[in-house]
Amino acid sequence: MIDPIIVTDLIRVFLVFIIITAAYIISTRNLSSLVTVYAVQSLALVFIALLLFQIEGSTTLLAIAALTFTTKVLIIPHFIGTIQEKIRIKSDIQFHFLTPIKSLFLSVVLMLVVYITFVEIMDGASAPDDLFFFGAVIGISMMLMGMMIIFSRKRALTKVLGFLSMENGALLFGLFITELPFMIEFLVVIDLIILVLLTTILIVGLDSTIEDYHERLQRFHLWEDDLP
Amino acid sequence: MSSIEFILYLVINTAVVLLVAPLFMSLLKKVKAKTQGRQGPPLLQTYYMIAKLFQKEAICSPNSSWIMRVAPYMNMAAILVAALFVPLVFVPGSVGGIGNIILFLYLLTLGRFFMALGGLDAGSAFGGMGSSREMSIAAIIEPTTIIVFAALAFAFKSLNIFDMVFASAATSVLATPTLILIAISLFIILIVETGQVPVDNPETHLELTMIHEGMYLEQSGRNLALMELSSAVKFTLLMALITNLIFPIGIALTLTVAGIMIAVVLFVIKASVLTVIIGLFESSIAKTRFFQLPNLFTMAFFFSTLIIIIEVFT
Repeated sequence: MIDPIIVTDLIRVFLVFIIITAAYIISTRNLSSLVTVYAVQSLALVFIALLLFQIEGSTTLLAIAALTFTTKVLIIPHFIGTIQEKIRIKSDIQFHFLTPIKSLFLSVVLMLVVYITFVEIMDGASAPDDLFFFGAVIGISMMLMGMMIIFSRKRALTKVLGFLSMENGALLFGLFITELPFMIEFLVVIDLIILVLLTTILIVGLDSTIEDYHERLQRFHLWEDDLP
Repeated sequence: MSSIEFILYLVINTAVVLLVAPLFMSLLKKVKAKTQGRQGPPLLQTYYMIAKLFQKEAICSPNSSWIMRVAPYMNMAAILVAALFVPLVFVPGSVGGIGNIILFLYLLTLGRFFMALGGLDAGSAFGGMGSSREMSIAAIIEPTTIIVFAALAFAFKSLNIFDMVFASAATSVLATPTLILIAISLFIILIVETGQVPVDNPETHLELTMIHEGMYLEQSGRNLALMELSSAVKFTLLMALITNLIFPIGIALTLTVAGIMIAVVLFVIKASVLTVIIGLFESSIAKTRFFQLPNLFTMAFFFSTLIIIIEVFT
């Protein structure tokens, strides 16, 4: 059994790590590193769930850690990585409304607003220096940051990653404050996998049959079967 | 604290920074060369170069004024005074304004101001462009630097670097994870202030993109040696700020010969590791376009503001 103080400190370190990955996801223009960073962010969530298990002892946390590891660290990044390899899009430099710099500035404001709102809502319910409070604030901020990615990026792949990062925020919030029932978390993850699978179709167009769609990919040189 | 101890600190700190600074410049070049599959210069190359330049006569353009002759001395003086503010191996109690982080920032800016003036004075196109770009970058990075230093002050509850190192020596990175964010912000400041890739490429000369090197293209002999040495000292100081605040292990809190010796060795090891990291970081990325640079600064700004929010509200 690890000392609870060390566990708490480690959770704080992982929370800071998650903030760093979130900032990177918002500001980067490089698509391949985006997926890797998403996988690393999810891995940090796995560690947080495991560390929380050390404190609380709830087996649901272990199940969430296992599920997150399998889906968000292995399966989803693998799918998106494969799509990226096949489709020749390496960077995302198109933005709606917000450039990465403005997004970062806005994120700071969002975090501040979330913090102040939480203090108001949970007035008296939780001490401001509480670790769980800190985790919840970061969770909600990440959800809002993910939302910001969805509307500020033009590429479908980045939008999907914004959504995935948003879900990571929801999971973080769930871990620290409400503890979502495991069944809901499981269903959300299945939705995410379906979403990632659908992305392959959404990227080129919804209005095509599977055969037509594949032919379209070939015609526009978007798909390469013979990778070096 | 006795005044003798403080005088000893001044002597030791200045001597150590002057002695080890050129080593890190060579090491940085060596790491970058190795990643490119080259042998790279020997580790003592910068010492040889500075020693050789000190023996040579300083030749100035006939179009230049006294500013060009004075600029290297003023720059070196400002950087050496700034060097007293960052304890490398031994932390005394602070005396007067020494150790004040805002004053430290101003001293670095003073050195940069004279360097830019020297670049403009010779009237060459490259010097002018270098100075212009350097001051543009300085103006853009200034708010970020201030926010990063403010974050440091909030995190350590002090404006004095000596107090910060004392506080840091008493705690651990694990207990205060905001230090990780501070380290990233300081790393970005280090890259920008010392003109490394992706902001500037110190390896290039006579290239249209050069910034830092362009400013002392017209300098020669001992004046050039002073410029090179001051850049090396500035690089070492900013590294010392990161290593001694984030990993204060080994720094002497009392003045003993054995303590100082161990602290010097550990500082060289810590700074060498950081230099290797900087070298690998530089080798892994390309130089950024000038107008893309604010992206890099914003990251430091974001983390620092976050630290302030965390420190103020929790």
